[in-house]
Parts: sequence; C-alpha cells; structure tokens
Amino acid sequence: MLAFAEQAVNGLMMGSIYVFVALGMMLIYGVMHVLNFAHGALFMLGGYVAQTIFMRVFDNYLLAVAGAVLFLILIGALLERGVFAPLRGNLRNQVIASLGLVLVIQNTVVAVFGPNALQFPVQATRATVQLGPLSFAVQHLLIIAVGAACVAALFAFLHLTKLGTALRAVSQNPRGALVVGIDVEATHKLAFALSMALAAIGGALLGPLFLVFPQMGDLPLVKGLAGIVLGGMGSIPGAVLGGLAIGVIEATSTLVLPTDWKDVVVFCTIVVVLLLRPQGLFGLRTRDDHG
Amino acid sequence: MSRMAVLAFCLAVPALVWGIAQGGLPPYLLHILALACTYAIPAIGLNIMLGYAGLVCLGHAAFVGLGAYTLGILAVDHGWSFWGALPLAAVVAGVAGGALGAVTLRLRTHFFMIATLAFGLVLHAVMNNWEELTRGPVGLPGIPRPEGFTLLGLDFAFRRLPDFAAFAVGATAVAFAISALLIRSDFGRMLVAIRQDETLAAAKGVNVTAGKVLAFAIGAAIAGAGGAVKAAFLRVSAPASFEYLEGINLVLIVIIGGAGRLSGPLLGALLFVALPEYLRVAAEWRLVFFGVALVMLMRFAPEGLAGILARVFRRRAAAA
Repeated sequence: MLAFAEQAVNGLMMGSIYVFVALGMMLIYGVMHVLNFAHGALFMLGGYVAQTIFMRVFDNYLLAVAGAVLFLILIGALLERGVFAPLRGNLRNQVIASLGLVLVIQNTVVAVFGPNALQFPVQATRATVQLGPLSFAVQHLLIIAVGAACVAALFAFLHLTKLGTALRAVSQNPRGALVVGIDVEATHKLAFALSMALAAIGGALLGPLFLVFPQMGDLPLVKGLAGIVLGGMGSIPGAVLGGLAIGVIEATSTLVLPTDWKDVVVFCTIVVVLLLRPQGLFGLRTRDDHG
Repeated sequence: MSRMAVLAFCLAVPALVWGIAQGGLPPYLLHILALACTYAIPAIGLNIMLGYAGLVCLGHAAFVGLGAYTLGILAVDHGWSFWGALPLAAVVAGVAGGALGAVTLRLRTHFFMIATLAFGLVLHAVMNNWEELTRGPVGLPGIPRPEGFTLLGLDFAFRRLPDFAAFAVGATAVAFAISALLIRSDFGRMLVAIRQDETLAAAKGVNVTAGKVLAFAIGAAIAGAGGAVKAAFLRVSAPASFEYLEGINLVLIVIIGGAGRLSGPLLGALLFVALPEYLRVAAEWRLVFFGVALVMLMRFAPEGLAGILARVFRRRAAAA
C-alpha cells in the first residue's frame, strides 16, 4: 500500500508534466486542427532556456521560468507566422513541417549546448517534505501544484474571459466564429502563445529533476499524445485527465512489471484506446478529422 | 514507362554494380554509398504507403528493425545463411505491416499517425528490453556479410567493402524495380485512387481495405529486406538504429525526395546521407539544415526534389 501511495504521487507528478504537453498540443489542435509534433522539442527548449537563465544570469528559479515562457512565446509567434500559417489548409504538410522543426530545434540545441545533460540545481530538488512515512522532493509537489494552478488558470481563462470564449468558439466552429466577428487569425496566435507558455513551464519544471538534455522532450511528447488519445482528441478536460491518468498508469505499472517495460505499457495503452474507443474517454466528434 | 527506360535500367544497373565492385572508388565513398542504400530501400517501401496510398506512417523504422533482427537472430543464433534469412526478414516485416495496416484501417490522419508512432515505439522498446532474444540496448553483434556463391560461372563475393557496396546498389535497384512494377500495375492505380478520394474509390468498386492492407504489407516487407541489408552492412543490429526518430527520418527522406514519385526515395536517401557528408560541417548543423530544407520545401515545393526536377525537365522540353 505504501509503495502504491509513493508511486501514485510519482505518477501524479509525471502526469502533471504530461498535462502540460497534452494541454499545449490540444490548444493548438483545437483552433488550428493540427498536431504539432515539435511540441516535445519546444518543451525541451523551455528547459534549456530556463537552465541557462538560472545558471548564468539570475540564479532565481522564478525569473528563469518567466524568461523561458517569454522566449518560447516569441519562438512560437515566429513559428506560427513563418511555418504554420502559410501551410494552413494542408494538414499533411503542416504535420511534416512540424517533424522538420523537431530536427531543427533538437539539433540546434545540441550544436549550441552540446549533447550532454546539464545540471539544473534548483533548491527544491534537494529539500524534501515528509508525508506520513514517505518523503518527497519539494520539486515533485511543486510540479503537481503548479500543474493544478495552470489548469485552473487556463479553465478560468477559457470560460470566464471574452478571449477565452473566442478561442473556444473557433475550436467549435471556425466559420461560425468568423461570422459573429471573431478574429480567427488572432485566436491562432493566442492559442500558440498559450501552448508555448505551457511547454516552457513544463520543461522548466522537469529539468531540475531529470537534468536538461536534448531528448528530454521526446518521451513527454509521446506520453502527452497518449494522454490526448486516452482523454479524447480535441477535449481540454480530456487532456488533463488523460495526461494525469497516463502518469499514474505508468508509475503504478512499475509495481507489477519491471521498470523497463513502463513505456511499453503506455504505448500499448495508446494502441488499445485507439482501436477500442478512438474518440477517447471524453472525445468530441464535432469536427471531422479528415486531412 | 517506356521500353527504352526499361532497357536502359536493365543495362545500366549491372554495369553500375560491376563498376562499383571493381573497387576503384575510395572506401569512404563506398561506405557512404552503401549507407545511402540502407536508407533508400526502406524509403522505397515507405513511398508505396506514404507517397502512393497517402498513409503517413511514423513507425516505419520498426519494420526495418524487424528485418534486421530477423536476419541477426537467424544468422547469429541459428546459423542461417544471409540468403535464407533475407526472404524471411521481408516476410516477418510484411506480416507485421499487414497486421498494423489491418488494425489501423479505421483510423484517420492524426489518429493513424499516433497509432503508427506508438507501434514503432512499442517495437523499439521490445528490442531494447527483451534481452534474451535481442541482447538488449547494446544490440546483436557479429552479423555476417552475405555469403559468396558462383552463378553461371561468375563468382559473387560480398565480404569486401566494394563488393558489399555493389550488392547494396543492386538490392536497391531490385527494390526500385519492384516498386516501379507495382505502381505501374492496376494495384498502383488503385492506391492512387484511394489516396485521392477514398469514398469515391470505394464507390467505384475499389476494395479500399485490401488496398491499404496490401500497401502496408508490401511497404513493410521492402523495409524488412532493407533492414536485413542494413544489418549485414553494419554487422550489428541495435535498437538505436530503429528508434522513432529514424522513422521520422525515413518520412523526411521520402518527402524531400518527392513522395509519390518513383525516384523520390532514391534522391531523398542520397541527399540525406551524402550531402551532409559532403558539406562536412558538424553533425548537428547538417540535420538543422535538413530540417530547414524540409520546412522550406513544404512551403514552396511540397512535391519534393523529384517534382522540382520533373518541372525543370518539362520546361526544358517545352522550350526546345
């Protein structure tokens, strides 16, 4: 039982990271109807920017995270303007361009920072909290807390503000949104900016725990996708619950299976869900998924 | 395809293979050439799925890996010859491809891509973790080069690098010929019909299900054979060669070369392997260059290099 509780907390922690990835991808998918496969690489870039600011400029974790968020929003604006907007209307070309971006971002980072993992020694990774008989690094709990706060803030934004409502309107029906006077182009930029901010926070939160390295976004990308598939393509609440569920499934699977097989469990979850319930647990089938 | 083209192909390929086997080329160039072939063969298989049937498969490296491990396990652990294991490598990958095609049929666009990606990840994880069979992350070493034989009084040998490079070029030519014959057949036209409009094709009596599953099986079988050639070239079969980024690289090769054009995978593989070697910059910057080239192609010439070349030739012909 103790082992289960410990793995459940670990699972919630990794699940929160997957939620950052899944939410970011779903925001873009919602309005632009494209999965951005470069999201993992951008998540990794967020980790690197935060690490660089922390080690070389400010020595302040909060400022480092904020810097990473700003930097990624800037990169996102460039990508939206330079890559995704001109390819609008051709799903396949947008997805393939995003695969090309993976190469560009990952290898630029290797060329600039080197292939080795970098330390990101934040105080919160060394301090521990005692929860009954178990002890966790503060960073674990920080990730869960920040994840919950970001999800709450995003839901408040989407449901309580005009901009958020516009975003939801576009993701439900772009033409209808245009008819009632919503600036659809602007919502694309907004979704990209929000998505990039979430990626930056996710990368900056995970970096201190497992070091910062060029492939650090690869598995979170796939696990985030798994969360999306489980929760249901196009559903924001689904992305949250799916991401958390994937984290917990993965962590608790280590109680019965060797640790090496935990990724296999997640990948098989994707395949099984896609085959048995392709719309996921909360999937919306309001828009065709035709390319 | 005109008769002249077929004749030229049948004369040029043996001449090329013989020329390479004479060993006049520097070893470095031969190495690059053989490596390009190990990418070209799976890319030819992927082109049938992606270029002609329009199925964006992100897990293609797994089929290459299946072929490589089939050869590795049979040759190293059971003493099979390369020639006995090669067809089996293609069959194993082909069956896996057909099965994946059959179960992912109902899925479209993003769902399909995610499912194929997950399939590749599962197989890669199995290669990494099933140590009794695959020897785990370090890979399966000691895979032999193909055995020599005598045919029609000619001695064929494959151990030296020039011989193996010649064999790889020959194998690529065979894969190319197979894909060319398939694409020019009714089957090829059926695939294009499915890609262009699945509903219309079905309404016209095309068996969409069979078409897709077959495209998958054939594409995967060619990839499996390519995997066997790759393992025989590298002398080792290790999971790192078949990770998901390699699958994405194959997609990039097909797209950059020109998806849905027969010469696309060849151009793409040559460019992917040879051009960065030629540029001789740090390895990372080559891939950055490649990524940028890909994004630019998507924007300005989504038909790929083969498409650009065809356009240039057409313009020349029109001007003349």
